[in-house]
This record gives sequence, C-alpha cells and structure tokens, in this order.
Amino acid sequence: MNKALKNPFTYIAFIVPTLALYAVFFVYPVIVSFYYGFFKWDGITDKVFTGLDNFARLWNDEVFRKALANNFYFMAFSLVVNIPLVFLLSIIISKVGRMRDFYKSAVFVPVVISTATVAILFGVLYNYDSGMINQFIRLVAPDDWAREWLSDPKLAMLSILIANAWQNIGFFIVLCLAAILNIPKEIVEAAKIDGVNGWQETWTITLPLVRPILFVMLLLTVSGTMKVLDIVQIMTNGGPFQSTEVMSTYMLKVGFRSMELGYGSAIGVAMFILILVLTGMLQLMTRREEVQY
Amino acid sequence: MARLRNGQWWMHILLLGYVAAVLFPLVWLFMSSFKSNREITANTWGLPTRFSFENYAAAWESANIGKYALNSAYVTLAACVLTLLFAAMTSFAISRMKYTRTNKAVYLFILLGLIVPPGALFIPLYRLIQGIELFGQPLYNTHLSLILVYCTYALPITVFIIYAFMLSIPNELEEAGIIDGLGASGLFFRIIVPISLPAIVTVFILNFIGNWNEYILSQLFITSESLKTLPTGMATFNDGYRTNFASLSAAVIMSIIPVLAVYVFLQRQIIEGMTAGSVKG
Repeated sequence: MNKALKNPFTYIAFIVPTLALYAVFFVYPVIVSFYYGFFKWDGITDKVFTGLDNFARLWNDEVFRKALANNFYFMAFSLVVNIPLVFLLSIIISKVGRMRDFYKSAVFVPVVISTATVAILFGVLYNYDSGMINQFIRLVAPDDWAREWLSDPKLAMLSILIANAWQNIGFFIVLCLAAILNIPKEIVEAAKIDGVNGWQETWTITLPLVRPILFVMLLLTVSGTMKVLDIVQIMTNGGPFQSTEVMSTYMLKVGFRSMELGYGSAIGVAMFILILVLTGMLQLMTRREEVQY
Repeated sequence: MARLRNGQWWMHILLLGYVAAVLFPLVWLFMSSFKSNREITANTWGLPTRFSFENYAAAWESANIGKYALNSAYVTLAACVLTLLFAAMTSFAISRMKYTRTNKAVYLFILLGLIVPPGALFIPLYRLIQGIELFGQPLYNTHLSLILVYCTYALPITVFIIYAFMLSIPNELEEAGIIDGLGASGLFFRIIVPISLPAIVTVFILNFIGNWNEYILSQLFITSESLKTLPTGMATFNDGYRTNFASLSAAVIMSIIPVLAVYVFLQRQIIEGMTAGSVKG
C-alpha cells in the first residue's frame, strides 16, 4: 500500500513549484540583501566593496537613530495603550451575555479595511479646517485648541499611533476574546463555589490562563511595529522634519530616492536582525509559560 | 442570576460607547461624501442637505476606481488560487507521502519564511523583479510580478495551516482510495483536497484579504496608471486631491463598500480566516 504514496515523480512535481518560487523570490533576496549591505552602490555604476562601512554609518546616522527611536515609540505605545485596552474590552465582552457577537463583529470592522484606505481616511479626519477631529474639538472646547495634527512635529507621531490603534485593536480583541471564552467552564464554576467574585475571577483565573494569547499579541506587536510602513508612508511619509520617520520609510527613501542601494539594504538587514533578536528574546522569556488546565 | 444581568448595563454602555467611537468616523465620512467641500466645513455634523451623487460621479471619473478594483480582483484571485494549489500540493506531499526525511527538511525550510519579514527585502526584491525577463518580456510593471511575489510570501503560512490539517486526516480514507486503484495524484485530488476544504477556505480568506489590501509591493512594482491596484490607486488619488474632501470621501467610501458588503455576509468566516494565522502561529 506504500507504493501509491511513494511515487517520486508525483512527489517532485508537487514540491517543486513551491520550492522554486520560494528560492527565487524569498531565499535569493534574503541572501543578496546581506550581500548588497557590504557595498556602496547606486544601482547603475559598479558596486564598490566597503566592508562594514554601511553598518558603521548606520550606527552614527542621526536620521536612522531617530527612525529607530520612533519604531520603539510605536512599540511602547502599542504595548502600553493598545494591549491593556484590548484586555479590558475583551474581558467586558466576555462577561456580557447578550450581543456578544454584535460587539465582536463591530470591533472587527476596521480590520478588514486596507491600511492604505485607513491612512487616507485619517488624513481627512485630521484636517485642520474641516476634519472631524478638529470640528469636534471646536464643538466642545475653545476654537484655538484645534491642531494641525499631521503637520505638527510634536503631534504627528501620536496622530499616526491613534489611527493605527483604531485599525488594529479589533483584531487583538477577537484573538483575546477567543482565548477567554476557551477557558473551561469547570474552572470558573469551581472558583465560584470557592467564593471568588466577578473581578477576582478576572485577576486570578482569566488573566493567568490567557497568558499564551498575551504572548502571541506581544509577538505580533513587536514585529508589527518594527516593520511598520504603509500607514506612516501614506499619512506623513516620515515628515514633518522626520518626526515620524521609521526604519522602513527611511530604508525606502535611501534605497529609491537617494539610490543608495547598498546602504538601503544594510538598513533592511538591521531591521531584520532587530526583529529576530526582539522576538527571540520574547520567546526565551516565555518558554516555560505553557498553560495547562 | 437576574441581579447579575441587571449589573451588566454599565458594561453595555461602555461597549456601545466604544463601538460608536470606532464606527462613527466611517458614518461621518459617509455623510461627508454627499456634501460639497463648503458644506463639510460649515455643516460638519448635520445630515447632508441633499443626497447628490456628484462627488461619486466625479471620483469615479477622475480616480478610475472601477479599473483599480478590477486589477485588484484579478491579481488577488490569481495569487490566491496559485498559492492554494501550490501549498496544497506541497502540504500533501510532505504530510502524506512516504519520504520522511525530505518531508521534514522541506517543511522546516518553508517555515523559515515565517521568520523573515518581507519588509526587510524590498530593495533586493525590486532589483530582482526589474532584472527578470519571462519569455522575452520584462516582469517589472506587470500584474504577473505581483501575483508571483504575493504567492511566494503567502506560501509559508498557507503550507503551515494546510499541512497541520492534512496531517490529522486518518489513514483509512487513503487506504480505501488505494484499494480502489487511485495513485498519489488521484488520492490528492479525489480524497485529500475535498476533506481539507475547511482549512483551504480559511487560508483562502486570509490570503484574499492580505493581497487585496497590499500596498507597498504594488507601489514598487507597478508604474503604469492602468495597471494599479486599488490601494495604490487610492493613494495616488489622495496625493492629487488632498484638499478636495468631497471627492476624496466619495472615493474612500466606494473602496470600502464592497469590502464591508462581503464582511456583512461572511463575518464569521472572515474573522476566523484572518485570525487563523496568528492563533496557530
């Protein structure tokens, strides 16, 4: 009976298309991006080997540092604001009996809209004269509280973070809610018999038991905020005065606008290594955190 | 129990408040899409004084949304079908066929793709696409370039999910097929694929939405106006009409409505599909 499933021709025919695509569009770019990183190259004239110069330059590049700091700002905001909000909302949704499906579907709506569209939508909302946000401020507060949200270097980053939160929170709520509803009923009931009340239940049972999903959310947040691109590029493209520059917008500018392909690749490599190190650390930290019911 | 239910009113108020805050911008944009630029500023909160479709007509003509949406649909569907076909074939080979050693190696190799973010590879990918010629035609600035690259970057997660599903199919069904005289490809098409449909539908949705919304690669690979996909087309329109909110609102609403319409009917499947990757990953 093994014969049918030991047909080398079928086997090869079945795995070659995948491996071929994978080799050309994935493995090859990974290898050459490391390779390009060691050269000074404008894409037209010959590459000049410069060893680790690009990486040394990266270390001293003010703009890159600024971009890196903004990526970390992005990450910190998502960890400190988005994730607690996600937990709070998911716990409340899990506690209400009626309309749970409605809440779940409603919070998920922004997730299905493309990031490009979200960026454009918020561009309209943040407009100084007629945007919804300034108009609302004028409605409830003195007129001069209205702000140039996206062209004020102090506010631009925050404005992007809010737009990003608007789009992403629903996704995390659905993940978190599923984990909470997955907790076996017996555990909750046993605790109730022991006299645990509603909010104690949240602290002593729900939160410890949904740790694996917290880990998933941390992982997604860290890698997502380190490589964030679309929303920043469309809303501000790093401006004003590079106050919202992130690594990937800077990489694209260096690579395509200044045509420094070697240096641009080096930024890509740095980004990749950084994501790998951060997610690797997270994985090590939570290694022993297997939850058993 | 009755007291507990009564105690829930404040939770409902909180949640309804949150939902209203999240959805209101879309409602506001919808109302703005019927107003003139002047009216958006002067009458921000009220209903439009008249429901005119002028903005929609203007946006439809100048933004080419119909064309962009068709391009997006073609690229997205083609990439999804290709991904599912290749991923299902590979998953079948490495989960059901008897080449234990190679299977494991191929699987681990493909999973590597989950680690490297495509975002770090834009420059080499761009150079690569510019350099490739297929049948004497450059690949750059064609829909095919997007289809191939979308397909490649969807493969790891797709194989991961389909592989796990196929691994769990009991052997008996296959044995029955073999007794009936099916070969490996017969088993694949007649038995394993039909059984794996739930997993295939899930990853189809995951990939469909990912491709439909993809922006950066499409912006890098496509330069011709007539080949642009919806997100890049919208971004171009946004650059040109930054101050014309009436048209811009109408354009955004037009690009959102099809997505929301599908979402209304397929909420459960869409939510399940989009979150599948991260829960299992």
